[in-house]
Amino acid sequence: MTRRAFLANVIKAFFAMLVAAAVAVSCYVYPTVSRMRRLHFVFAVDEDELPKRGVRKVEFKYTVDDNEMLNRAFLVAGDNGLIAFSPVCTHLGCYINWDNNRKEFLCPCHGGRYDVNGRVIAGPPPKPLNRLPVKIDSGRVYIGVTI
Amino acid sequence: MGRVFDWLDNRFGLKKPHARFLQRRVPSDLGYTYCFGGMAFAYFLMLALSGVLLSLYYVPSEKEAFRSIVMITNEVRMGWLIRGLHKWSASLFIISIILHTTRVFVSKSYRPPRDLNWIVGVITFALVMFSGFTGYLLPWDQKAYWATEVGTAMATNVPFVGINIMNALRGGPEVSGATLIRFYSLHILYLPFLISALLWAHFHMVKRQGINRNL
Repeated sequence: MTRRAFLANVIKAFFAMLVAAAVAVSCYVYPTVSRMRRLHFVFAVDEDELPKRGVRKVEFKYTVDDNEMLNRAFLVAGDNGLIAFSPVCTHLGCYINWDNNRKEFLCPCHGGRYDVNGRVIAGPPPKPLNRLPVKIDSGRVYIGVTI
Repeated sequence: MGRVFDWLDNRFGLKKPHARFLQRRVPSDLGYTYCFGGMAFAYFLMLALSGVLLSLYYVPSEKEAFRSIVMITNEVRMGWLIRGLHKWSASLFIISIILHTTRVFVSKSYRPPRDLNWIVGVITFALVMFSGFTGYLLPWDQKAYWATEVGTAMATNVPFVGINIMNALRGGPEVSGATLIRFYSLHILYLPFLISALLWAHFHMVKRQGINRNL
């Protein structure tokens, strides 16, 4: 191969790399989420399985883009009607548990404690527990998730 | 050279100025060690390009910085690649500069009239190191935080005004969100502009004075 032909190939390879780089950059620039997220109500539990007063942990499933999703929530029945709390601690995102003896939500990671209304009693959490939209329709409890 | 290029060249006149700044007389006995400066500049261009892309997703705030880095690495398509390019180019940039400086020193190219160019190069190197230091904080993880805590505390060893220098660097008495924004601004605005200006002067002097020969 002559030097001239070799250099011509080098220049071609250079332009091929430019095209590859342009493709990679286009992929990078295009947003990962290009679909509007909307609130969907997902069936969680039948109303007669809930306690009159007290807390119940529920697990519910739904599909997003053919992926099976499992989500959890705490349903609190009391004077204010039915409230759903996200089970994610507002400190660093661990899953909290309901302690039925102390009547508190406890976070196992850093000792965050919340009362039955989701307010912080002790520990590092900066905010009360996040509430989830909940609705009851003909005896069935639905929880709202943004998909 | 290909139809597309000829079409462009007939209108844009690309070849002519190209010839003017690519066809320069260089001594025939230059070795590969004379490529280190050019390599360093190539890494500088890589850093500029990947940095511009990273700034599309990076959020320079106390709460969002780390999360946005995790997002760039794991969620954004090719994000790991762009971030990796920026990180590795930064290390290789500094290595190339050190090799380049060593070559200039060994070949005694710092002697007059190139002494001013040596000075410009040393200032550029200092700014590049500072650029690396400010960029290190931006991921806002434990390593970054403590590196900056320790690094800025070193300024207190300066007599009389040490504590003031540290406060000015940190934007307050301790490393906080103010430090993050300060370092971000230095990293993407002040330092790149200053380095570009110095590099222009560096290259201008090389063009005017020619490349020194091996001894």
